[in-house]
Amino acid sequence: MDELATRIDRLLAMPPYSLAREERQAALLELLKDELEYACGRNRGLANYVRHWPVEARWARRVADLPYLPVGLLKRQPALSLVEPQEIKRVLTSSSTTGQVPSRIALDSSTARRMTKGVVAIAQDFIGSARRPYLVVDVPGSTGGGPELGARGAAIQGLQPFASEVVYCLRPGQDGDLTLDRGQLLQFAEARRRSPVLVYGFTYILWRYLVKPLLAEKICLGMAELHILHSGGWKLLQEEAVDKATFNEGLARVFGCSPDRVIDFYGMVENVGVIYPDCAQGNKHVPAFAEVIVRDPLTLQPVREGEVGIVQVCSVLPTSFPGHLLLTEDLAEVVAYDGCGCGRRGTCFRFMGRVAKAEVRGCGNIEPSRRESN
Amino acid sequence: MSELIRRIDNPEEITVAGRELRENLRAAEATPGRVLEVFEAWAAALREAETAGIPGVQFLRIWLRRGTLEPIIARELGCGALEGAWREEGRARLKAYPLGVVGHWPAGNIEIQPLLSMTCALLGGNACLVRVPGGLEDLTWRLIGKLDESDGQGILRKRIRMLVFDHGRRDLQEAMARAVDGAMIWGGAEAVQQVRGLPFPHWARLAVFGPRISVAAMDADSWCSRQEREAWCRRIARDVWQFDQQACSSPQVLFLERKAGQSCDEFVQLLKAAFETENRLRPRQAIPAGLTTAICQARASWLLDDVAHRALFPSAPDWTLLVGSGSEIPSPTQGKTLSVLEVDDLLEAIEKLDGNVQTLGLAMAEAGREARVASEAARRGVDRIVKLGRMHVFAPPWDGVDLIRPMVRMVRHVPSLG
Repeated sequence: MDELATRIDRLLAMPPYSLAREERQAALLELLKDELEYACGRNRGLANYVRHWPVEARWARRVADLPYLPVGLLKRQPALSLVEPQEIKRVLTSSSTTGQVPSRIALDSSTARRMTKGVVAIAQDFIGSARRPYLVVDVPGSTGGGPELGARGAAIQGLQPFASEVVYCLRPGQDGDLTLDRGQLLQFAEARRRSPVLVYGFTYILWRYLVKPLLAEKICLGMAELHILHSGGWKLLQEEAVDKATFNEGLARVFGCSPDRVIDFYGMVENVGVIYPDCAQGNKHVPAFAEVIVRDPLTLQPVREGEVGIVQVCSVLPTSFPGHLLLTEDLAEVVAYDGCGCGRRGTCFRFMGRVAKAEVRGCGNIEPSRRESN
Repeated sequence: MSELIRRIDNPEEITVAGRELRENLRAAEATPGRVLEVFEAWAAALREAETAGIPGVQFLRIWLRRGTLEPIIARELGCGALEGAWREEGRARLKAYPLGVVGHWPAGNIEIQPLLSMTCALLGGNACLVRVPGGLEDLTWRLIGKLDESDGQGILRKRIRMLVFDHGRRDLQEAMARAVDGAMIWGGAEAVQQVRGLPFPHWARLAVFGPRISVAAMDADSWCSRQEREAWCRRIARDVWQFDQQACSSPQVLFLERKAGQSCDEFVQLLKAAFETENRLRPRQAIPAGLTTAICQARASWLLDDVAHRALFPSAPDWTLLVGSGSEIPSPTQGKTLSVLEVDDLLEAIEKLDGNVQTLGLAMAEAGREARVASEAARRGVDRIVKLGRMHVFAPPWDGVDLIRPMVRMVRHVPSLG
């Protein structure tokens, strides 16, 4: 395990976007194989799955040939774990819509430490490494102190290494809804007009509880030196017919900054320590310690540039749960396997929405449901 | 484009189409015999390259043959029905008359179902309003175009309107329901509920074919038979491949009765070979991403659940065999994912079947035992018990009900003279 940890740390220490595709393959393949072997030694069910994989893992010549787990498997109870219960420091839970079971991710201290280092390595490539005031567009206590941490809390916490101070600007409302703490927000803005600031919020929370009300009142906070990071997806905003350009413009008007200060990132708690911020070209990039494979639903082989498929995320970071190779329920288009105009190396892709759930229908559904929806 | 199929955006268009169909019905009677003539010509036309490759077309062609349909008409409507004659019953005369305009709400995942459903009502002399699911528009247009070409005298052309509109258009759904005298409704539970809730006239008759699954089972002597087992494997593969295992008659699980001293490994390897062959002959052309992820999930769940579980599958989502033991029906995945479960006694599995199971496909070496298994399955709610390899043969009763009879009125005439 110590040897594995050293190799993981070595990859984590590299500039995150310096490797071309082939170099990344070489760096990741053997490490992922060894991690898989380690995981199989600790979980008999996983070993059974890997044993049945059509390509023997040891002889795989590409990361794409290694056995991946569908992300839904991480919803199992008890959580799929590679460590003893007493070693689990925290359990991350994914956001899930009503009635759905969330993923449960067991973190030991080593994986938790790498998770923080991974997010920092990625984020500092986009916003620099300096600490700065951190405005969280959420309620205090989202990151909790308990044994479980939700997706919002994990995202908020992941950016805390960039914070010199943390201020939350939402409050729980009387009806269970959230409400903007204007006093707190305006005081924060007034005091930090000319200093660099980091803002984070879930996409729909930022829009619904901060941008919409302040736009309606034509309030501008005048904070030109900030970076706004947001995540959590667009589904709820699509229902309000808010697209990315409208969203970025709205944020820019409210904060008084340029729209290019707004950075959307894709992330999922199951892919601990890896986030995928949009670059200036509007693409998402993969850091050195991870890989993204977009698979053709018909063949499950990697798609060509310009094609859309199911996203598989790969990461060397987790050792407390089998999250190394996960087939997600998201769709993405591979823009290029290298050569993005922003200068970052390796695969760049764009998120294209969620995979529409398949339903068992006997002799049918009135609606064909053969297309994917966002 | 054939005028028989059109996109609809206005409820009034449906009302007008319904009125035209009703007028055409009044103008002329179409006996089952005359309908069969057109069907035979249509079946021949479907052989052409433009339509031959559409999934289910071979099946549709067999269904449209006189040899298939004549006995069904005779059984459901009685002797003489083919020529539209009255038949004597004591002092009375009986004859089948159409209900009128029959609306069809077919499933969106079976390519030929709009047409299959429609043919049942046409054989009863009805006119048809068919809602074509958006995803099936192009191929339905090609299939119905062949009917249009084959119907030289316009016997059926005047009785068919195929309507393409979004299922979310409540106003159009309601207009269609108001325009019909009967309905054939196929689909999942939610969809069926929605259609049943539409404002049909109080006299409208509804035939509902809801979601069900099917099961295959083999006794020990059948799967152990060295002479027969490869043929059985080919039949099972065929049943799984047809309709991409999405039909209510598609087997989702195969129960194998244990035999002392015999491992099923060799049989499973033969089944794998049959699946590989079938996949080479009939490769999938497209797959919804959600089905791919469901297949991957089923493979992983099965193997993680129990280290005694086995599975065989290629890298692609083409097919999957999940091998283990037990008499419970696993949650179906579809997409050519077959669970193969060993049981000590087939009756253990049969006893757990219920009305959710439509078809039981059987391979049994002993007729008396098969009869007992069939009776047990029927008592528990299974409607069709057939030989493996024939699970999709579309012959009434289907789901326990006739296919033509529900959409006709049996008119009774007791002469006043004599």
